[in-house]
Formats: sequence, C-alpha cells, structure tokens
Amino acid sequence: MSGYFGGVIVILSLNVILAYAIFLPVASGQLNLGGAAFQAVGAYTAGFLSTSYDLAVGPSLALSVLAGGLVALFFSFIILRTRSVYLVLATFAFSEFVSGVIVNIDALGGSVGLSVSTHISGTVVLVAAVIAAAIVLLFMQTRLGLATRAIHDDDLVSELMGIGVRWTRVIAFTLGGLLAGLAGGLYAFYFNFVDIQSFDAASSIYLLLFVLLGGTQTFWGPLVGAAFFTIVPELLRSAISAAPALAHALGVTGELDSSWRFIILGALTVAMMIVRPEGAITRIGLSRLQAALFPSRLRKRPA
Amino acid sequence: MLIVQQLINGVMLGAIYVTVALAFNLTVGILNFLNFTIPSVFMLAAVIAGAAEERGLPFGLSGPLSWSAALGVGLAAGLLASLLVERLTFRYLKTRYGDATEHAIPLVSSLGFLLVFQNLARLFFGTQPHSFTSPIADANLRVSGLIVSAPQLLSLAIALSIVVAVTWILRVTRIGRALRAIAENPDATLLMGVDVKRIVPVVFALAGVLCGVAAAIFAVNYGQVYSGMGDEIGNKAVAGMVLGGLGSIWGAVVGGLIVGVAETLSIQFLGGDSVQAVVWGLLLLALVLRPEGIFGHHAIGKGKL
Amino acid sequence: MSQRDVILTLQKVSKSFSGLTVLDHLSFEVRAGERVALIGPNGAGKTTVFNVISGAYLADEGAIVLDGQDIVSKPPRARARMGLARSFQNIRLMPHLSVVENVMIGQHSRARGLADLLTPLWLTRNRHWRQEAEERLRSFGLDTYPHVVTSNLPYGVRKKIEVVRALMSHPKVLLLDEPAAGLDPRETHDLQEFLLGVAAQGVTLLVIEHDMSLVRGLCEHTIVLNFGRKIFDGPTSAVHEDPQVLEAYLGPQDAEPARRLAVGGG
Repeated sequence: MSGYFGGVIVILSLNVILAYAIFLPVASGQLNLGGAAFQAVGAYTAGFLSTSYDLAVGPSLALSVLAGGLVALFFSFIILRTRSVYLVLATFAFSEFVSGVIVNIDALGGSVGLSVSTHISGTVVLVAAVIAAAIVLLFMQTRLGLATRAIHDDDLVSELMGIGVRWTRVIAFTLGGLLAGLAGGLYAFYFNFVDIQSFDAASSIYLLLFVLLGGTQTFWGPLVGAAFFTIVPELLRSAISAAPALAHALGVTGELDSSWRFIILGALTVAMMIVRPEGAITRIGLSRLQAALFPSRLRKRPA
Repeated sequence: MLIVQQLINGVMLGAIYVTVALAFNLTVGILNFLNFTIPSVFMLAAVIAGAAEERGLPFGLSGPLSWSAALGVGLAAGLLASLLVERLTFRYLKTRYGDATEHAIPLVSSLGFLLVFQNLARLFFGTQPHSFTSPIADANLRVSGLIVSAPQLLSLAIALSIVVAVTWILRVTRIGRALRAIAENPDATLLMGVDVKRIVPVVFALAGVLCGVAAAIFAVNYGQVYSGMGDEIGNKAVAGMVLGGLGSIWGAVVGGLIVGVAETLSIQFLGGDSVQAVVWGLLLLALVLRPEGIFGHHAIGKGKL
Repeated sequence: MSQRDVILTLQKVSKSFSGLTVLDHLSFEVRAGERVALIGPNGAGKTTVFNVISGAYLADEGAIVLDGQDIVSKPPRARARMGLARSFQNIRLMPHLSVVENVMIGQHSRARGLADLLTPLWLTRNRHWRQEAEERLRSFGLDTYPHVVTSNLPYGVRKKIEVVRALMSHPKVLLLDEPAAGLDPRETHDLQEFLLGVAAQGVTLLVIEHDMSLVRGLCEHTIVLNFGRKIFDGPTSAVHEDPQVLEAYLGPQDAEPARRLAVGGG
C-alpha cells in the first residue's frame, strides 16, 4: 500500500485502533484523557527494542502491546478509588507524567526522539486495525461487554446486580491500554521515528473528543468518529491548498492544516455537546436505521 | 542561600499559578464544572494584550500608557472569552440520564473550546514569543544577597490580594452568598428565589478577570507572551488546583505555591527537563493517596449516588 | 406457618447519616416463601432497610443473616450471588440498554467463570441466556419492544421490566421498593397477580408499598416502621387495628378517620 490514499488509510487505521483504545474505558464510564501516553508507551517500547536489541517487528509489536496493557493495568489499579472529575484529571496527570519521564530517559532519545530503522508496510497497519476492531466488536457482545455498558449507565445498580464493577473497569481500561500499545508500536514502525511531541496532551484531547463525537453507546461510534476526523482534515487540506487566496484573506499564518483541523473539531465538539451530547451514532438512531432498512425484522407485535 | 533564592523564585512563579488555579477553583467549586478553557483564556488574554502593545493599540497610544492599556485590553478579552464559554458550554447543557460519563459533558465542551482558542491563537499569532515591553521589568531589590525583582513582588502581592478579595466577595456580599448557596445545593437555590441564570455568568466573569490578571502578571514578569503559554502555565495551574483540592480557595493558593516551588527546585537540582515529570508525578501521587486534594471538598465530582 | 425456615434476619441493625439516625436497632425475621410488606410513614427508613440489606449502604451495626450466613459486611455483588435481588423506588434501568439487555443484566449473578463472561452471547452455548430473557418478557406480556432502549418506554412498562430484571437472578429473596407506584388500579391488580405467581414459585417477597389494597391482596405478613423502629410485626389483617400504627400514620386525635382510611384502602 502506498501513495496518497495508502497514507490516508494508514492514518485512518491508527486512528481506529486508538479510538477503540479510548472507547473501551469510556464504555465502562471512565473518561481517559491520557490516551496518547499509552500510545507513547507502546511506540517507545517498539522503538527501543528494535533499535537497541535488533528485535524483529513481530515480537517488538507483541511486547509493545503488552507494555501498553501492563501500564494501563497498573494505572487502573491505582486509580480505582478516583471518580468522575478526579479520574479525568488523573488520566491527564498520568499522560503528562509519562511524557515527562520519557523525555528524561537518554536511552529513549530524550527530547530528540528515536529513529526506528525497520519499516512495516501500510497493509500491516490496516490488518492490525481490522483485527483490533473485530476483537472489540466481539468483546462488546460478551456478557462482560454487556456488563461494561451497564456500569457506564449505573455503577451502583450494576454492583447490586452482581457485577464486579471494579474488576470490569480494570479489564476495560487494560484492554484499552493493550490497543493503545498496539497503535504505538505500529506508529513507530510505520513512521520510523518516535518523539514525545507526537504524543502530547493535545493528541490525547483530540482522541477523546473524536471518540465522544462519534458516540460511545455502540461499537460503530468510534469507527465513525475516527473516519470523520481522518478524512475531513484531508479534504480540508486540499481545499485550503486549492484556495490560498482565501487563507491569505483570513490573515492566516503558521501551520495551516493542523490548526484548522483542531478548530473544526473544537467547534464541532461545542456544538455537538449542545445539540447531541450522546454523539453522532446512538443506539436509538441505529435501531431506527435498522427498522427503516429491515422493517420486517422489527415488526411490533400488538401489546 | 541558593535554595532560599530558588524558594523565592518558586513562590513568585507560584503567584501566577495561584491566580489561574483560583479561576479554576471558582468554576469547579461553585458550579462543579471543570473548566478546561481556563488555560486558553489566560493565554488569549496575554496574547491579545501582547498584540495590542506591539501595534500601539488601542487608541494609537505609545509609552507606558500603551502597555497598561494593552493589559486592560487583554483583561477585557479574557472576560469576554470566559463569558462566551459560559454561553456555549454551561448554559445549555443538561444531563438526561445521569450516567457515568454524562457529568463530563460541560468538561468535554470546554475541551472543544480549548482547542478552538489555542489554535486560533496559533493561527493568528504564530507560535513564536512576542516580546512585551514594560518599564518595570528590570527593577530588582537586593536583600542581603537575595534578588527579588519588583514585578515579582508586585505579582505576589496582587495574587494574594485577589485571593483575599475573592474570599471576601464569597463571604460577605449578597452575590457571594448566592454563589455559596449554589455550590451547596443548586436545586434548593432555585427554590429560594436566587436567579441562577444571572448568577452563573458572574462566576465566569470572575474567572475571566482572574485569567486576565494572571496574563498581565506573566507579561510584565517575563517580558513576553506566546500562544503555547496556556499549555505550559495553565496546565501547571491545573496541577496546583488539584493538589490543593478542588473547590477550595486556600487549596488553590497552597497548591499553586507548591507547584511553583517544586518547579524551581526541580530545575535547580534535576535539570529543566525534569519539571514535567516532577510536577505531574506529584499530582498523580496526590490523586492516588488523597483523591480530594489537601483542602478538598469531598463532595465535588460525586454523582447522584 | 411458623414451621417454615427463617431466610432473612435483621438483628439490631442501625444506620445513621451525618448524625441523623435512620434505622434504630431494627430487628425482624422473614420466613422462606413468605410475602411480607414493609410499610410506614414517609421517612420511616423503609428504603434504607432495603439499602442495608442489599449492600448499597453498609449498616453501622447489627447483623443481617441471609439463608444462614451473615452478609452484613459482604459487598453487594456477593449478596446478589447469594440470592438477593431488588427493584428501586425510582426506576433504575440502564437507560442506554435495550429491554432484553436490561433483563440480561439481571442474569449476571448466575454467570460463572470466564467462559460465561468472555464468549459472545450469540454462541450456541450462550444462547440460552437471551432465550430465557425473551421468554420471561413474553410470559409477562412485555415482549412488545424487546430491542428498544428503555429510556424511551412508558413508566408502567419500565416498572415491570425492573421487576422482571430482578427475577432473572433467580433470587431466594426479592426486595421490591414501591412496585405499584405510578400504576393505575388495573395495572396494580395485574402486578398483584404477577407477584403472587412469582411467590408461588417459592420466591420470598419483601415489599415496600403505600398502596394498602396491594399490601392486603399480596402480603400475609406486615412490618410497620416509624422513625427507624419497628412498631408492628404481624398478620396484615391486624395492621389497621393496631393503635400504634394508627398513631404513627395520622397522630393520636385522628385515629378513627385513619382507621376508616386504612380499611377503605387507597
């Protein structure tokens, strides 16, 4: 896979994996504002193992998944007592802490970054994204997946129904960490360069927002969010490069596309939170769509 | 002696954190709204003040009138931005089901605003620092070998008097009492005839003004403003606020000062790259050991359970 | 009746909230298969009784024995696995889950091991869960909208779904917090028949209810609370003659009208 569309598909694939990495904790009621840090753990694990120990891509990727999962497991344990606003803050603090630590480790290239020599093709990234999405899809259809959604809605009642709320939360968070680690490892091998600026607080915010805008009630929401926020910036980039006069007229200087991307996401977020805080894809919306497409399957029986 | 000097510098730096952390604490303490736009409102106020000063705006003034007027423009910008945030993030948001992530709707909305403000600033002001000239930047006091710069001292005085003023407003004035009532129980307040819709913007206006003041303190002290300062300064104010305790004014003061001192001490002893790890590691530790912060109000952030 | 085994015992259970005593050394027994009403004026502590039994709150002191085991310090989910289920005064269905999914949450305490938890529910080995849920819904006439998100359904329907959800754990003891609130007389009568059917299957019922006609029609035994203390514990038929109960409800002077009211039901 190569060329412009190949590149877009790789970014889309990475965004999809990351979207599910954030979706799993959110689906269990834990907002994760530190997604990029878990990705960074995976990326640096893969980068370090392949540059310092010449480890092959396969094992490096496996270990970066494991590293992301272990860090998430550890983190979700220590924050079990923290709730709501404090939880969001803890994930935020954690991501800042992780990038602060990584910058200070010389073996990881400090603030300069790490060059990774082995390259993987875009196809590998795409296949990984499909597998990751499939795993999440299956997970959401298990009893544990159902319990995850129940906890999101009402954790006290879930506990009273016999669900181990804490364990389920830890599992959801750890699964998210595994996926973020995977996205990190793939990132390192595809772009062949890892630096901490790529995993900053803004990336974490960006990630969380596109998952929330896609909608966290169903498996499809994160997918739609990731697709929308991969494709729209690309369209925007071509639109702006096609109309430089417009950009000039707006008095715009500096990094064009990335800033506009964030502004649009930000404005959309504000608007969506007012009109449709549950995100673009909702269960009600999906069941209406299903009813419209397959009217016979959902025929209402007389009461 | 070196440590004492660093402590002094840390306290002075902390003054900025204290002011911004206080803005955070007002919205989270009174409205239970973790307002992530505050770092960017702080940054916007500073950057707009910087732009105004650079172009001799407003009114084509020059000299000392220019920089003080520019700071005023920045303050007004902070106020307006904060009120805009109130209009679009807080006012229209209602929770429907009360599930686990719904409490975060205003928070998420404020993250959206954060992105908008930050990137607008990046687009129109670039990422490079703009110098901000003020005549008192170089005035230093020397007390038995220790250097205390006049603007730093002034900043600390301003920050502390603001804290006292806000405490006074909350304790004594009618608006303050209404605000505290809202913090205790929003529903009951409505029944008591307090017009919540009119009172809420007051909180945001106060937060905006505090951000403007913090921006002015920063511009005068460091002689420069830049679009990334929201991330660098504002986020550490978040750390200070949480460390001190959500919703506690004196928590904001203590937390802000702790972060300032921790920062200068870690620069001194561990090097500049260690600041981030130390400050956020400290906060993470605090959140794990004592989720409600040093002076925190335990009820904040709790849902309906 | 007294020969039946005691299945649930509260022994001197107390609970207070920031200095306010809500339950004051409350003791009572419920026998297996019994249908017991828990009534009392507003603020008597009825829902708190449910909360300390189900584990939503921890009791400050005292013992709660379920089927021979002291559960007072066990976490709520352990109590659910031991055969305790409840409904809520304000309906607490999961708003984003469909009707069937909500009912399937009620089965959770019966799921055992990783195979039950971590294999997709559409696999052959797991299909019985959904089938059971759908059958239960059908048998109560609630299968009209099985895939609709519950937040969109009418009040009465949600109320019944909550009872069905509680039943799905196959409980030994079922705690129902005002099951008839918000239902019209016809619906209340249906509910009564429905609950009698449930009890006939051997489920012990402990019901908080204001609707005295339902209490009389459903429960053979009644416990009356006032200010966190038990003021009556005996056959339902004797409740309206008990002077303490009448006083608790309407004060000493109004005992006579209160008596008429209690007899008249409502």
